[in-house]
Amino acid sequence: MAEVVFEKVRKTFGSTVAVNDLDLTIDEGEFVSLLGPSGCGKTTTLRMLAGLEEPSGGTIRIGDRVVNSVPPAKRDIAMVFQSYALYPHMTVGKNIAYPLKKRGIREPERSERVMATARLLELETLLDRKPAQLSGGQQQRVALGRAMVREPQVFLLDEPLSNLDARLRAHMRAELIELHRRIGRTMIYVTHDQLEAMTMSTRIAVMNAGVLQQFATPADIFHRPANVFVAGFIGSPAMSLVEGELVGSGGGDGERRFRVHCGALDVALPAGLLNRSAAPGPISLGIRPEDILLGSGHHTAAVGVVERTGHESIVRLDAQGTPLIVRTPGDTPIESGETVRFSLRVERLHIFDSTTGLRLNADTKDS
Amino acid sequence: MNASRARMIWSVVTWTIVLAVVFPLIWMIVTSVKPQSELFSIPPTLMPETITFEHYRRLLTDTPFLQYFRNSMILAVTTTVVVVVLGTLGAYSLVRFKYRGRETLATLVLFTYLMPSVVLVIPLYLMMAKLGLANTLASLVIAYTTFALPYALWLLRSFMSSIPVDLESAALVDGAGRMGAFVDVVLPQALPGIVSTALFTFILCWNEYLFALVLVNSDSVRPLTAGTMNMLITSFNIDWSLLMAASVMMSLPLIVIFTFLQGTLTKGFGAGAVKG
Repeated sequence: MAEVVFEKVRKTFGSTVAVNDLDLTIDEGEFVSLLGPSGCGKTTTLRMLAGLEEPSGGTIRIGDRVVNSVPPAKRDIAMVFQSYALYPHMTVGKNIAYPLKKRGIREPERSERVMATARLLELETLLDRKPAQLSGGQQQRVALGRAMVREPQVFLLDEPLSNLDARLRAHMRAELIELHRRIGRTMIYVTHDQLEAMTMSTRIAVMNAGVLQQFATPADIFHRPANVFVAGFIGSPAMSLVEGELVGSGGGDGERRFRVHCGALDVALPAGLLNRSAAPGPISLGIRPEDILLGSGHHTAAVGVVERTGHESIVRLDAQGTPLIVRTPGDTPIESGETVRFSLRVERLHIFDSTTGLRLNADTKDS
Repeated sequence: MNASRARMIWSVVTWTIVLAVVFPLIWMIVTSVKPQSELFSIPPTLMPETITFEHYRRLLTDTPFLQYFRNSMILAVTTTVVVVVLGTLGAYSLVRFKYRGRETLATLVLFTYLMPSVVLVIPLYLMMAKLGLANTLASLVIAYTTFALPYALWLLRSFMSSIPVDLESAALVDGAGRMGAFVDVVLPQALPGIVSTALFTFILCWNEYLFALVLVNSDSVRPLTAGTMNMLITSFNIDWSLLMAASVMMSLPLIVIFTFLQGTLTKGFGAGAVKG
């Protein structure tokens, strides 16, 4: 019904390509995040879906309907803006009632639905206030209310939490998850914050420079990043990416065996880690901070900066010129300047082709 | 001690300036209610010894003043409506729509405003005569629009550009069409700007003299400025009492309008409604 489909959608502004041949199918009822750095085309994608930007090419469908030339009002969508975009001259009640009014829903049904929405978002006592008299969190809830009141097919949310302080943001994340669970509508959420995307989404579309990099579940994005960009973008602190060389070490049993040489690191990869297209040559080796184990092992490194957050410490290592980042429990006794031994969880290493940037691990899913 | 003295000096300076500015107005009112006999008495009387409204009565009954007043009112209101409607839509287009030559257009508009009106008055008269509009209120409406509209466009453009695009986008998504979003969201936001523009245009039309003098020449269409001058100031005599009474009457509408619109004029924008 309310499946959202992008087919070869393009958007250019003059000579700049904002979105390049986007193919994306969002199932009904999904919570999908469009994630990427500033200027990656995620907001443009959302605005095209809303009808606020016209695609330069391709087709956008909502349900069975091609909406390319359908005005925003007729798309049965609601949108929450980063700036909230509350109408300053209207009270909270009138703001929430506006979409109903525009669709010709009369009193008393209009007031009933506004009240029901206000109750859901705990805004009943604020209905007569003007937006300027509300706190950021309250304005945020009014913006949500205005989107919800009409029960649209698809919700579009453009970085709705970015103007809230950290505590309120965490709270609203939980509220949004709960809201999605309760109303079960398709939600498309634009963010540059990977934490929001990881915690709320059923699937994440990672974008960079107008190109879709990977569209998969949060777990897949994290454990099986499709390319170097996704690998480096997802995860905090970021995965260490080291340039190196993949060499064959031909196991006698006919099984293909590989080693990687990356500066001081020389690691034998377990059998079956890489897929069929893997061949000796230049590669990027990706190591998540939690996949480096300090204390023992045959690698050594000098300890650089240690950032302690209490329950864990982020340690920067210098393994003979190769910079690595390690996550370690907060009680690990480690000091800047000392030399440590470490080992790698080789079964969790990520290998990417240096020229194409694509993942070479065998667990790569076709996306 | 020092602070209070400084404050006192400030007060004296401020009040001197205020009095200097207000004195002609007070003198105008005072003169308009003095009997003829007291007008040129020496020393002059600041407060009239006897108050008379005889001049007002004569002005309203014995002269075409009311006709002029009506003409001025029609002229100023019509021009204001035309300028505000065209200015608002034009400014919106200059701010929101992207088309070739948009910036050039805006600059050209400003250039027309920089043209001294005195060089336009004769050509404009000839054009109006050719169009058969000479000696009509319409000719003055057109003339005033030509110099009020550029200014209105620039003033409104700056107001419009301060309205966040997101507000309109929100209205569009919420179910409004382009025109609906304009009426529901843009107009209320631009209201202080629209009121200022309307006021500016109204005052401009109300006080305009040059075009009123040249473009029309019969009492039936003459506005207040040209009419009053024509009627009360001749080469031989200036009827001060009537002139002052007329001046007071001419100032009244502006005072009334200012009083009513003060709130809207000073009201700020919907600050805080859009963050970021």
